[in-house]
Amino acid sequence: MNCEKAVETEILVIGYGNTLRGDDGVGPRVAEAVGKLRLPGVRTLICALLTPELADPISRTKKVIFVDAAVDASKEVQWRELEPHETSQLMAHAADPRTMLALARDVFGRVPEAWWLTIPAVDLGFREDFSPAVQRDFAAALKKVQAFCAEA
Amino acid sequence: MSKRILIDPVTRIEGHAKISIFMDDAGNVSDAEFHVVEFRGFEKFCEGRPYTEMPGITQRICGICPVSHTLASAKAGDALMAVNIPPAADKLRRLMNLGQIIQSHALSFFHLSAPDFLLGWDSPPAQRNVFGLIASNKDLARAGIRLRQFGQEIIEILGDKKIHPAWAVPGGVRSALSEEGRAKIRAWLPEAYATTKVAFDLWQRTMETHQPEIQIYGNFPSLFMGLVAEDGTWEHHGGKLRFTDSSGSIIADQIDALNYLDYIGESVQGNSYLKSPYYKPLGFPAGIYRVGPLARLNICQQMGVPQADAELKKFKKLGHGAVTSSFLYHYARLIEILAGIEYVERYMDDPELSSDYLRADAGINNLRGVGVSEAPRGTLFHDYTVDRNGLLQKVNLIVATGQNNLAMNQTVAQIARHYVRGNTIPEPMLNRVEHGIRCYDPCLSCSTHAVGQMPLRVQLIAPDGSVLNEVARG
Repeated sequence: MNCEKAVETEILVIGYGNTLRGDDGVGPRVAEAVGKLRLPGVRTLICALLTPELADPISRTKKVIFVDAAVDASKEVQWRELEPHETSQLMAHAADPRTMLALARDVFGRVPEAWWLTIPAVDLGFREDFSPAVQRDFAAALKKVQAFCAEA
Repeated sequence: MSKRILIDPVTRIEGHAKISIFMDDAGNVSDAEFHVVEFRGFEKFCEGRPYTEMPGITQRICGICPVSHTLASAKAGDALMAVNIPPAADKLRRLMNLGQIIQSHALSFFHLSAPDFLLGWDSPPAQRNVFGLIASNKDLARAGIRLRQFGQEIIEILGDKKIHPAWAVPGGVRSALSEEGRAKIRAWLPEAYATTKVAFDLWQRTMETHQPEIQIYGNFPSLFMGLVAEDGTWEHHGGKLRFTDSSGSIIADQIDALNYLDYIGESVQGNSYLKSPYYKPLGFPAGIYRVGPLARLNICQQMGVPQADAELKKFKKLGHGAVTSSFLYHYARLIEILAGIEYVERYMDDPELSSDYLRADAGINNLRGVGVSEAPRGTLFHDYTVDRNGLLQKVNLIVATGQNNLAMNQTVAQIARHYVRGNTIPEPMLNRVEHGIRCYDPCLSCSTHAVGQMPLRVQLIAPDGSVLNEVARG
């Protein structure tokens, strides 16, 4: 199989999390909102968790942004640059996007520039709406992605 | 003084579990138990919900097999409405289930299990995972990822989402297959076939070098159960229930889904949240039965598609009557992947999948409805009792993995008896025991596992509860 595929996307935004567990759904909702903006060169993917087949589209984009809720990080929206790393978390609740990057590199031969946008989660109960804190941070997160896409 | 060996957590499976291995005073394995340590409670908190919500709610039971639950739930809804759904809707649901089987089996074979039998039981745990597979055979790893992608694409093309597609509903489905979607699926077929051929070649070599595992990993007589067509053809979504024994004899056949409780009892164990279903006429635990790929191939006479039928013939020669080795679940999965691809190819030539006649309308016409569908791991039952307004009064879910619970216990005990000796617990032995569980590809209601560094805690515990020895890593 020929894996020397052309880069197909400028920016790929992957939002992941469980939309029925309150703030854990912020990643998919941010990606959904980005998708509705129809920014040129930007593609969005929404998923419940990071799975191996994501390595393929990740390898075919120039830049990738992972968007997720965070329970153990700082109490503010964080934007971090990522490098590929073979961690022990694949298909886990606390999936590490660096593992996806490592898969893209090792299996499909290419790894894009990557960033991790995390929004601190407060309430992970059985609900579809967000806590007030995440409702506030949602706008900031969306702005961050929009600004990045405009500059890229 | 008796001892207990604890494997907690079990890795490279979907869900959270631990294994306890009990030793007698002579240092031999006396028993083993597979504990599920998570509790979901869907059967209880769905009470009071409208039955129409259940395809959406129950697919959240699992992020790996949501399609299976949504299809079984929709069928239960069909039964409550007492409708026959339009033929196009039935075909489309089947197409989605085939996508589910392909992607789930690909994950199980390439990512969760192959690192063990390709890289070896003695290989370092940090390498015995998908990254080790990549280092050893990048093309195979890539092919496995792409094959799972193919199955996911079918699900997304039909349901507009890979995970939790809101598409199958009581009475039918929401949308047909578009021509664009049909073309996309067709384009995948050559690669899917090629990957499956590579996997079969690899599996043939694996069987040659893993005869001890075939003999020891869950090789025991049991019943087998699944859905089957009236003419004995392999089924994954329709048909009726059949039980066979390990001689291959049919002991109960063409059982309507509504009557499953006449044949299946559920035993609750004190040390696990996983119920233990059993074949009622034989009682508990004698009525142990297995479900899933091994069972589906044992109970059917033919797959109904030529390439898979050729493989089925080879498969059936591996048993005397039924194929009883749980290690051969891996082979059965490959045959089902191949059958799935062949059936998907047939559907691509079927114009009815583009029909806009997709829903049957009705109110509540039965106060109890049962939907049965074959999840990749085995037969799945959704049993709903409603009031006249369609609000759920009672829900019973029997999942595939639960039905394999007794068999998993027996498999762990069998493997442990061969490899555990005294107080020494070498890591390869632990991985063999874990692999016995992985043969069943259990889905313990959520998807989580660690790849690589294996967080394991093993304790030898005396009857008085004191810890005699402990080994930990990760």
